[in-house]
This record gives sequence, C-alpha cells and structure tokens, in this order.
Amino acid sequence: MKRLFFVLVIVVTLVGCQSEPDSLKLFDELVVSTNYDTKAVFGAYTTYAIPTDTIGFVSNTNPNDTILVSRADNDYYPRRVLERVMSNMNDREYTRVGRNENPDLGVNVYVVKDFNLFQQVVYPNYYYPYYYGYGSYYSYPYVNTYAYNTGALVVEIVDLKNVTPDNKVKVIWNAYMGDVYSTIDLIDQSTKAIDQAFIQSNYLVHEN
Amino acid sequence: MKTKYILSIAFMLLIVRAEAQENFFYINWNGNIPLSSKEYIDNASGRGAKIGYRFFFGRDRRFSAGVDFNWAQYDQYKPKETFETESGAITTDYFNYIYQYGLTASSQYYFPLGEKDRFFPYVGLGLGVNRNEYNVYYNIYTDSDKAFGFLARPEAGILVRIGERRRMGVMAAVHYDYSTNKSDELDYKNFSTVGFQLGIMMLQW
Repeated sequence: MKRLFFVLVIVVTLVGCQSEPDSLKLFDELVVSTNYDTKAVFGAYTTYAIPTDTIGFVSNTNPNDTILVSRADNDYYPRRVLERVMSNMNDREYTRVGRNENPDLGVNVYVVKDFNLFQQVVYPNYYYPYYYGYGSYYSYPYVNTYAYNTGALVVEIVDLKNVTPDNKVKVIWNAYMGDVYSTIDLIDQSTKAIDQAFIQSNYLVHEN
Repeated sequence: MKTKYILSIAFMLLIVRAEAQENFFYINWNGNIPLSSKEYIDNASGRGAKIGYRFFFGRDRRFSAGVDFNWAQYDQYKPKETFETESGAITTDYFNYIYQYGLTASSQYYFPLGEKDRFFPYVGLGLGVNRNEYNVYYNIYTDSDKAFGFLARPEAGILVRIGERRRMGVMAAVHYDYSTNKSDELDYKNFSTVGFQLGIMMLQW
C-alpha cells in the first residue's frame, strides 16, 4: 500500500511540474517590433536607396562585422528579404533610386546575432556618425548578450535628406524581427514579418 | 512580510503537533478554474496537485488542523495581436502562464455521517501564503513577474475510509482560493480560483 502511495506521489508531482509552451507554436511567427521618430514627417520623403543582394551581419561573438551576400539562385535569404522590403517601400509610394542619386532615405537591412534586442529599449533618434551604407555597423547602441544563440532581422531607415552639419544621419524608423535563429521556415517567416512591420506602420508612406 | 507568514504557519504547526492524536496524509490531483483577471487566463487548469497533513483533535474526530501545499499551472494561447507603444508597435502571438504555489495552515470541522469511522464530510478554512509566477512567452522571449500574497481558502469535502480496518481512504473536495497576488507589470489583479481535488489519503489510526 505504501508503495502505491509513493507511486501516486511521483505521478502527481510530475503532473504538477512546470511546463513551457510548445516550441513549434512559439516559433512559427517572428515577433515584430517597430519604432519611429515621432518628429519625422514620413510623407515628405520621396526616394530611397537599398542594396540589391547584400544585408549586414552583426555579431557579438564575431566582432568583425561582415555581410551576407546572395548567391546566384534567387531563393537565397538576403535577396528575398530585400525584395520584400523594396516591395513594401514601393507600395508606400517611395521611389527607389541608386545610392549616388541623392536618395532621401537610406534603408539598412541586417541580421544581428547574440544581441539582446528585446530586453533593451532601442528607439530611433540615434545618430550614426556617418552613413556609409552597409559595413559601417560599429556604433550600435545595444551591447547586452544572451548566453545562447539569438538573433533578429533588422530593417532600419535613415534620413539622408537632413544630414547634420557634422555629417551625422538619423535613424527615423526601425523594425526588429526575431528570433531568426529559431524559425521553422526562415524565409517565409521573415518575409511575412517584413509585411507586418509595414502594416503596423501606416504612417510610413509618401504623400504626393 | 514573507517571514511573518512563514513564522505564523510554523507556530500553528507546532501547536497542532503538540495537541494532535490521529492524523492522515493526503495527495490529490487538483484542477482549478480562474475566477479573476480572466483576460489574462480564463482556461481551466487540470495541471495541479495538493498534498497535506492533518491531525485530529480528540477521539470523536470532529476537528482537525494541518498544513496544505498545492501547486498548479494555468496557461492560455493568445493569437497574434498588435500592441501600440508611444512610438511604435509590437506584434506577436503569445502564451500567458501562471505557475502557482500555495502553503496554508488549515483547520476542519467534520460532520458525523452514517458509519462513524468511514465517512467524514467536512468544511474547513486554510490561511497562508501564495506565490505566483507570471510568464508571457513569445517566440524565444519571456516577460516574467513574481508575486507573493496572502491566501484564504475555504474548503468543503469528504474523506472516505475504504474499509474499517484499512488505513487508506479517498478524499474529494472543492475549494475556493482567494489571494492578494497581483502583477502591476502584467496588469494582473488579485488571484482567485475555484478548485476541485480528488485523491487518496493514508490514515494513521
């Protein structure tokens, strides 16, 4: 009888143990967080510049910033991501121009790894010392790290129309989408997240 | 504040132990239905357990006192939702969780029924402390808050001894839990539930 009692103790103990949500359900959509400069007049910008097949890559574990480059096949991640950003920008009546054609806006797209993005508030209004486009990611304002792999896809819009006298550029919109290291379908979830970032930013539109 | 709760319970246990004669252990499955802050979770929980140790006073077994410990998990999936912030928005689906642990000192009054040594319907009241951990899971991220509070638990149930000479019995009860736990961070007010418990007990007489 005592044995039965102790078996039941174990069974009930196990039933009562803490559990966490099903990871398949947790990871099937990226969290999409957008922030904007409340003083920016988004309707006043007309043109933007964005690369075709290169996105940035920033990692705490690899201090040498690098880039992700599309391979020849169209299905590769950077290209699919950039195309979706461009598609949304075009839908919002912004016109893509070359980087040497004096764009109003610069669009940065990059993946950050091991950065604690969601635990630390990162609002627009921060300035980059200079805008070189891609490969100049040495001054991001977040530094904390997780002990495990975590990462976010970041889309960032900088104001090239109002460069400061000392040549600084201001970030006026950003979107953090994570976690890109725990996805079930990375490309599909990333492109849907980009769409969602624009959906929840209805102020981001050029006004004729 | 926590120390005060613990000392109160320990003191009551000492009194109980000194006066006690016959006693029993029980271990029960414990299901609960949230009654408050249902916008956070309104799903019933079947994941929980309650264990306890109670002592009778006197040979007629009309009063007992003891200590009860319970734990339960409440959870609910929330479909994708967009939350506006001062300068942006965040969109995600998420899971709300509560991990609850309660410790009470309790006393019971038993009504005489039929065969005196086999059926023990009772009413009781437990007072103690409740600890809730509130977790919001979204993707790999978790927002978490913990809260202690005062717990009051009126309870009604029945003990059924399997046979006159058996030291094992079945226990069933319904209880109402009210506790003052709240989470300002997650906008969670007080915590109250109604619970059902069913299980076995080991009698020491």
